[in-house]
Amino acid sequence: MNRKTAGRVDEPASKAGGRSYLGPTIRRSLRSGRMVLVVGTAWSVILGVLIAVGSGSGFASSFPLILPIFGAIAAIGALTVFTSDRMKGVLEYLMAYGISPRRLFTNFIVAALVSISIVLVIAVVASVGVYVARGNRLSTSLLLLLGVYAIPMSYVSGAFATTVGMYWSALSSPREGMNSPLGIAPFLGILPPVAVLVLIGVFGATVGFSTNGFLLVTGAALSVVALTVLYLLGNIGHLLRRERLLSNA
Amino acid sequence: MAALTQTVAGSEAPPGVPWIACRSVSSGYLGTEVLKDISFEITAPSVYVVLGPNGAGKTTLFRTLAGILSPSRGKVIIGGTPGDHQTARDRLHYLSHLDGLPEGFTVREALAFYARAELATRVDIERVLDKLQIRDLSGSYLGQLSAGQKKRVSIARIFLRERDIYLLDEPTANLDPKVAKEIRSLILELSRDKVVLYSSHNLYEAREIGRYVIVIKEGRLAVFDRIENLRASKFRLGVRLLNPSDSLEGWAKEGEYFVRELAGPEEVQSVLHDLDVRGVRLREAREMDNPLQDIFE
Repeated sequence: MNRKTAGRVDEPASKAGGRSYLGPTIRRSLRSGRMVLVVGTAWSVILGVLIAVGSGSGFASSFPLILPIFGAIAAIGALTVFTSDRMKGVLEYLMAYGISPRRLFTNFIVAALVSISIVLVIAVVASVGVYVARGNRLSTSLLLLLGVYAIPMSYVSGAFATTVGMYWSALSSPREGMNSPLGIAPFLGILPPVAVLVLIGVFGATVGFSTNGFLLVTGAALSVVALTVLYLLGNIGHLLRRERLLSNA
Repeated sequence: MAALTQTVAGSEAPPGVPWIACRSVSSGYLGTEVLKDISFEITAPSVYVVLGPNGAGKTTLFRTLAGILSPSRGKVIIGGTPGDHQTARDRLHYLSHLDGLPEGFTVREALAFYARAELATRVDIERVLDKLQIRDLSGSYLGQLSAGQKKRVSIARIFLRERDIYLLDEPTANLDPKVAKEIRSLILELSRDKVVLYSSHNLYEAREIGRYVIVIKEGRLAVFDRIENLRASKFRLGVRLLNPSDSLEGWAKEGEYFVRELAGPEEVQSVLHDLDVRGVRLREAREMDNPLQDIFE
């Protein structure tokens, strides 16, 4: 009983330390999305190894292009948990404990990024390992494509798919199948890398393409998508009313 | 309509600081007001039954008090602190009409999930497993449980740590009568030194557990009073005879009961005395209507 002898209600102990729920969100997202993680990782490794074995020097230009697709799909686990928590009233309880919608969204985005990291690390280590083991050198173009395009694009696309998916889920009535946020997430996730590839293709076919041109297009695309995510996250208080996170709102 | 400002004071009220104060609170969803200009203060630990027809605003009231919904107008004060402050939330336990149990967890894992927010320990989890008699379910996945079992797990959450105020939205829905009774006993135990707001559609349960009643009608506070102060618009006494084949002249028959309308409960004693004098052997006598029933009419 938190009361003093005089009868006034006493201040309870601070519980801020136990409140972020980031750890449980990451664990639950990994658990919920484990099949997607396993399949996504397996496909990216199989394709990477096949390209490394089959096309030799073509590996440097093709493997980094497919990687963001599998990376972004790994975000589905976090989105699955978010959608389930909203429908089952878990988000309602967490808000009653004082966890803000922005904190909740941030937790799920971080959880998605952790999932993406697992796919990226395993796929890159396995595929590049096979590529190098077959006597190929780590070329500058491979490192550039991985470091400037594939890896950052995977993270940014995953964060984009998760954020837009959570907004979609919160703003819509519960839906199932391909109309649900989970159905749309993979398409949202592959949108940024596909857009960049189209832009690179258009530039390459019309004005020719240089390293600087590649860096410019990729950097611009990454910035636009990252800023979109930050805007949606930063303005959640204005863009998304709290009742949108309740199951029957 | 002017706001009803009502205070029910009890013997253990913290001097000067209401446990809950609602001051001209309006609240709702996506710009639509469900609660309209609600004002009341709770100054004594007890069970306050929140009643009202479907859609009247009971759940909205709980969500607003719990800080989940922000009032569009007015203020919620919890123990002297604005309702949107963390210290106010730390005084509350909120039980939604939804189970709020995370998917894919076992019972024990679900309790551990919420124990994190409560800063509760493993010992606390073990204690509530016993208290709610769900130890045999502790290793079961939530998806394997019945609706009633899930409800018990959800209720277990509010016993992980003590707080001053309990907001319980239909806590006994989906529970079988035996378990519902056990839960009511636990809640009555709590109410000795805590404030419990308890919503229910069961008028007999409300009468059994509540000392005060808060009635919400069309989003407005219609009644806030002690339950014993509520009187039905008519008082009907029903008696069941020891010999079912006997009849009772001047009384209407309703099922197994002979029923007569009285001026009020103060007449019961003399009516039963008259029956005794006439040699009528009774199996049972009861009030036929629940005074809370009028609230819904």
